[in-house]
Amino acid sequence: MENLVWTVGVNIVKPEQIIGRSLIVTLQGELDLHTAPPLKERLDRLLDEEPGLRHLILDVGEVSFIDSSGLGVILGRYKTIEQRSGKLVFVGCRPQVKRVLEFSGFRKIAVFAKSPQEALEMVERT
Amino acid sequence: MKPKNWMKLEFPSESPNVMFARTAVAVFASQLDFTLDELEDIKVAVSEAVSNCVIHGYQGSVGNIVLEVAYDEQFISITVEDFGKGIPDIDQAKEAGYSSIPEERMGLGLVFMHEYMDEVLIDSRVGEGTKVLMKKKAPAPVS
Repeated sequence: MENLVWTVGVNIVKPEQIIGRSLIVTLQGELDLHTAPPLKERLDRLLDEEPGLRHLILDVGEVSFIDSSGLGVILGRYKTIEQRSGKLVFVGCRPQVKRVLEFSGFRKIAVFAKSPQEALEMVERT
Repeated sequence: MKPKNWMKLEFPSESPNVMFARTAVAVFASQLDFTLDELEDIKVAVSEAVSNCVIHGYQGSVGNIVLEVAYDEQFISITVEDFGKGIPDIDQAKEAGYSSIPEERMGLGLVFMHEYMDEVLIDSRVGEGTKVLMKKKAPAPVS
C-alpha cells in the first residue's frame, strides 16, 4: 500500500491510497475554480505514473462545496478511468455535493458508496 | 421597493476570490430565514457567476468584479458584474454543455445559476462587460 500526500487548496493534507487497482483519494475543503487545477494536476500525475490503476474512489465526506469547476476536473479524470474500463465511486457525499452531482448527471457514470470499504467491494464486483 | 439591507464588494478577478465572494454572499443572505440547503444553492450560483467573470470576462487577465446584494420582503437580489469581454450570443451561452473556451466546467455555469436561483437576467455588451442579476424569493426575515 502506497501512501502519498497532497493538499486541496489550503486544506489539511490527506494521504492517498492504492489498493489493488483502485486509487482512493480523500478530498477535503471546497472544490472550485481555485482549488480544481492542483487537484487535476495531482490526479493526472498519479494516473499517468500508475497505468495499472483502473478505478477512482473519491472520498468526499469532508468536501463542503463543489461547483462546475470541481465537477469538470472529476469528469476529466473519469474519461481516463473510462478508457481503462474502470469505475468512478463517490464516498460519503454531503447533501450539497450530492445535489450538484445528481443535477449534473453523475449518477449515470458514477456510483455512490457509504465507505471506502463499500466502494472497494463495489469495484471488485466489476 | 427600497431594500431592507444591502452590501457591495469590489475585488480583482483572482481565483481565490471566488470562494470569498460566495461565502460573503451566503453570510449576508443568512440574515434571512433561508434553509441551509438554500444558502448552499445561493453559494453555487454566486460561485458560477464569479467564476464566469474570471474565466470568460477577463480570460487570464485581471480586472475588477463588482458584487452587490440587497434584499427586501420579496427577494434577495445578487448582481455580479465584470468589465471585460462581454458575451456575443447570450442564448448560445445558456445552452448546457456550451462553452466558448475549452475548459473543464462542462458548460454548466449558467445552467446552475438558472437552476438554483428563481430569476437570472444577463446584460452584456461585447467589449464592455457583463452584468448578471440573480434573484431568489426571500423567506420571512429573521426579526
